[in-house]
Amino acid sequence: MASTVIGAGITIEGEITTDEDVLVTGTLRGKLTAKEAVTVEHGATVEADVTSASLAIAGSLTGNVVANERVDLQAGARVIGNVKAARVTIADGAQFKGNVDMDV
Amino acid sequence: MANHVTVIGRTTRVRGRVTGAADLDVRGFVEGEIAVTGDVTVDSQGMVGSAIHGRRVVVRGAVKGDLLGDEAVLLEEGARVVGDIRAPRVAIAQGALVRGYVQTGEGNAPAVAAARPQPAARPAPAPQVSVVTPKAPAAVAPKPAAKGGPAPVPARAAQPPALPSAAQRRPPPPVVPALKKARGQIVKKKER
Repeated sequence: MASTVIGAGITIEGEITTDEDVLVTGTLRGKLTAKEAVTVEHGATVEADVTSASLAIAGSLTGNVVANERVDLQAGARVIGNVKAARVTIADGAQFKGNVDMDV
Repeated sequence: MANHVTVIGRTTRVRGRVTGAADLDVRGFVEGEIAVTGDVTVDSQGMVGSAIHGRRVVVRGAVKGDLLGDEAVLLEEGARVVGDIRAPRVAIAQGALVRGYVQTGEGNAPAVAAARPQPAARPAPAPQVSVVTPKAPAAVAPKPAAKGGPAPVPARAAQPPALPSAAQRRPPPPVVPALKKARGQIVKKKER
């Protein structure tokens, strides 16, 4: 269970920094910096640059993503932006527009 | 999964606005304004640096800003609040610390409007003074009447430009020592 949750119906406009897991089911605009996993659930809207250990996206994300470990775009995800991580997966059914940088 | 309560975790810091139609639990730090239609809880570890507007606002942590509750504002033990509190029901438990204006009862919107003019009441006297300004010419008239000394009259006539100069006269005292220091530095620079 993520210790920081942006629930459905909530909008945060600004910058979030945290050492914990973050679960987004609502709306976030701005910037998100987390030291642990970030999850963007189906129905969530994130318009922000995201930096985290790992990132799982099933909702909508517009912005650049940097993850230390991995980024997973799940089915139903809609991502516009550049993704930089050692491991990146894009599930069948995910929409994606941007560059992928896997430190090759 | 869709019914998650929004939680700002202990190590989480939000710089910005938090808005929406859901409950909010603050255990970390929120610098910006919080305005939700659900309940807001500020945990004992939670800190909010700006105003909070919610249906029920429950505080056990620190808030620097106004608390506005559509239903209630409840300050529990450990709460530290610097700001005004307005809600139909306000409860302040033993152990809660508050500094600010507290107003309970219905009709918050007019209450808010009424309460803010109070600080505005200080500017209000100023308009009254300005209303008196028609008399000011009369007051000015005595000054000419006091013309006895011709020298003061030009001085007073020169007041409008003199005011900025008077404002300029205030800074110089610190400037003078600065000049002394500067002279020394300049000398050193010249030596270099």
